[in-house]
Amino acid sequence: MSRNAEAALLLLAAVIAAMGTALANFPRGVGVDAQVALTFIVFVAAFGAVHLSLRRWAPTANPYLFPIGALLVAVGLTEVYRLDADPLAALQRWWLLAGGLAAALVVFLLRDEGVTVLRRYRYLFLAASVALLLLPLLPETWPLHGAEVNGSRLWVRLELPLGDRSLSFQPGEIAKVLLTVFLASYLADRHTAMSAATRRIGRLQIPEPRHFGPIVIAAVASFGVLVYQRDLGASLLLFALFVGLVYMATGKAAYLVAGGGLAAAGGIIAFQVFDHVQRRVSSWLHPFDDFTGAGFQIAQSLFALGSGSLTGSGVALGRPDLIPAASTDFVFAAVAEEMGLAGSIAVIAAFALLIAAGMGIALRSRDLFRKFLAAGLTLVVGVQAILIIAGVIRLLPVTGITLPFMSYGGSSLLANMVILALLARISHGDRA
Amino acid sequence: MNGPIRNLATALFVAFAVLIGGVTYTQAIIGPEYRDDARNARLVTARAARERGTIITRDGTVVAESFPDPDDPQVFRRSYPEGELYAHVVGYATVLFGTTGLEASRSQELVSDRDATISGVINALFGGDLRPNGLRLTLDHDLQSAAADAIGNQRGVVVALDPRTGELLALVSSPRFDPNTLAGRSAGPVGVALEDDPGRPLLDRALRQTYAPGSTFKAVTATAALESGTASAATAYPDPPLLPLPGSTAVIRNFAGGVCVDGTEVSLAEAFIHSCNTIFGQIGLEIGADALVTAARDAGFGLEIPLELDTLASVIPAASSFRNDLPGVAQTALGQRDVQATPLQMALVAAAVANGGEIMVPHLVAEVFSADAEVVERTAPQVWRRAMNPSTARTLADMMEGVVTAGTGRRAAVPGIRIAGKTGTAEVPDRPPHVWFIGFGPVDPAPDERQLAVAVLVESGGAAGEDATGGTVAAPIAGEIMAAYLTR
Repeated sequence: MSRNAEAALLLLAAVIAAMGTALANFPRGVGVDAQVALTFIVFVAAFGAVHLSLRRWAPTANPYLFPIGALLVAVGLTEVYRLDADPLAALQRWWLLAGGLAAALVVFLLRDEGVTVLRRYRYLFLAASVALLLLPLLPETWPLHGAEVNGSRLWVRLELPLGDRSLSFQPGEIAKVLLTVFLASYLADRHTAMSAATRRIGRLQIPEPRHFGPIVIAAVASFGVLVYQRDLGASLLLFALFVGLVYMATGKAAYLVAGGGLAAAGGIIAFQVFDHVQRRVSSWLHPFDDFTGAGFQIAQSLFALGSGSLTGSGVALGRPDLIPAASTDFVFAAVAEEMGLAGSIAVIAAFALLIAAGMGIALRSRDLFRKFLAAGLTLVVGVQAILIIAGVIRLLPVTGITLPFMSYGGSSLLANMVILALLARISHGDRA
Repeated sequence: MNGPIRNLATALFVAFAVLIGGVTYTQAIIGPEYRDDARNARLVTARAARERGTIITRDGTVVAESFPDPDDPQVFRRSYPEGELYAHVVGYATVLFGTTGLEASRSQELVSDRDATISGVINALFGGDLRPNGLRLTLDHDLQSAAADAIGNQRGVVVALDPRTGELLALVSSPRFDPNTLAGRSAGPVGVALEDDPGRPLLDRALRQTYAPGSTFKAVTATAALESGTASAATAYPDPPLLPLPGSTAVIRNFAGGVCVDGTEVSLAEAFIHSCNTIFGQIGLEIGADALVTAARDAGFGLEIPLELDTLASVIPAASSFRNDLPGVAQTALGQRDVQATPLQMALVAAAVANGGEIMVPHLVAEVFSADAEVVERTAPQVWRRAMNPSTARTLADMMEGVVTAGTGRRAAVPGIRIAGKTGTAEVPDRPPHVWFIGFGPVDPAPDERQLAVAVLVESGGAAGEDATGGTVAAPIAGEIMAAYLTR
């Protein structure tokens, strides 16, 4: 029954996506054209593949994950198409197809043993994610090399032997999934030891340091790389993941306090050391002081939000093209302008529902690894969405990460589709 | 294990609730502040992108229209089919250089309410007509073209109006500019070049530049003399070759040197016809600063002339500032010293004489019409002020007719039509003189006959340079224009 509901909801999301493309067409004097059909076909193909794989190999999986994800993709793609139909939206459709197939492949590969099989490869994942995080540091002269975008070195570019074409991706997006698998697995083994305080330092009781070794190494390594690459958002995201998972595994609020203290200290140091962090903080506090400089992007975002008001300008009737990075990091501001407060709240509510579904899966899982993995993956998606939305509406400094499912970006979409597939597979295990 | 997960989930939900609160505050509560911020480019582009009404001349020539951008049907572009000809009157509506002229002052009527705001949508739902209104101008396309041709590439102004209604029939300020270039895609450099141009093509010289009126001001001085009771047209004055100014070593000479007429006794009418400086200097001293200032104020000096466009007030100093400065009084009577007038003001002096002493409110918009071409509003003729008594106007009209038949303004004559006028050659330090002609015709028209009042100003002598006088440079232009309109 629930799989039929999923099919119906996915179809609805495909219709919404096609309607979004059509709406973006109208003000340009174009009606329902091949682009509308293409959007619909890609949605049906990508989510159809996922749906069929779930029917076949994980029939009792949670039926709401992919429909919510599909809705977010539909809204995001509408804005990306409206901002840059060609090439961004066209590319994004290919990435959606790739993401759907990747999710279906994950469901297929994990059909017998479920996600538990991933535990065997946890150190491989750790190594892979550290390697991925180091990739952007490869020198420019190599065919596979790093690229600096907006002062942060978090992109990797592969120069193809086909003329001057190149393929770029953000390895951090993939690394965050692999790191979550590693951490969930490691903590599932060590949580007892880590929560038992066997040592004392003064009045403070702490567990055996060796249990923390790999975690600390993982944290420091990924951190160091990220700080070196100047990617504040990803740093913060991974840090929240470490602290959250350790807290989950041990149940000790002291880790949250310690983590919060470390983050604050790290933030102060970053502020002192990196001028791009200083600029972000000052443009957050006083966006209009340097209107034409550092404050420009956030000021444009606020203009977009204010101009959108309650019901928005309507798709393709506003001016989100005035906001720098409107199709990537600031896609939420584009939605807020053209779909209004109604659209903004709908997007936030959809993320909240997704997080509710993910946390529900974690709560119902009887196996610790699956529990931690579900909670960790949900945490990554939730924190990432919160960080960037808060940045766009000026509750926090802008951290420069993508909005899951909605921002243009292949690596991000691919990674988040895989996260949904993992969550779906976990939920199947615990319902049967 | 579930306790911490529940706590983390709760923390995330609290964060989402804060986001909803934050986004509600930003979009709905302080949102209007951001929306209306002057730096929000949406305001400017939205306004510029809207459809604006069509502007036509009284005879139906289209001078401004909107058309949908072929690349983006949401955006309307503005075009000015007559290019330079109506540049100063119609103005322009641009993103980069703002909005000027009637495009700015009548934007209420010209700008469409059709947009995506809530009020726009509600309006549309209730069937309101959201198409913009258009304007029909009082300007006459043929006369406007004739005026522009007559002034050519000289710097100067032609003002022509119907003295009985106040309708402006031609309003040309030269040099001009093409507003299409400011609304176009390469507007930036064009606009900067126009702003830096030493010829100041963006300046509307007819309304916002003042010049010494020179001898055309003698119409005001004569009014003051006639109305103060000290003189009539026949009052005789001595005709000396030069007039020593009391309390100084300065003297006033006649324009051509020597005596003005024959060195004997000359009537006020003859002194006016031949523009005698020595005699008008005497008249000024006789009637005094207060009478001069009163006559000038009655004619509109010191006031912003009510018009659909901003006008600069013409200048007459307060009587108290030069009452005891006798050389100053004499020179003011000749339209020199601190007297400054816009060409529009001097056109209204001529119009007052033509219209029995009353100045009608000058206007450029004849009617506002809806998108269905129905008249929404029509401008009714209205009296602005009385510049002189009807008897004074009568006397002045005769004297001005004499200027054209037998005096300095003979070259403004139009065969078969009684033309009246006054020339002026205003001295300017270090430059050739500004030359003037103000006048009207016909004198005493039949009720259904056309009548035209004009002011022509050519800056710094125009093409004639140092040799220019009002009679040789400005009068022929005025004659040409009046002939074009009155013999049509």
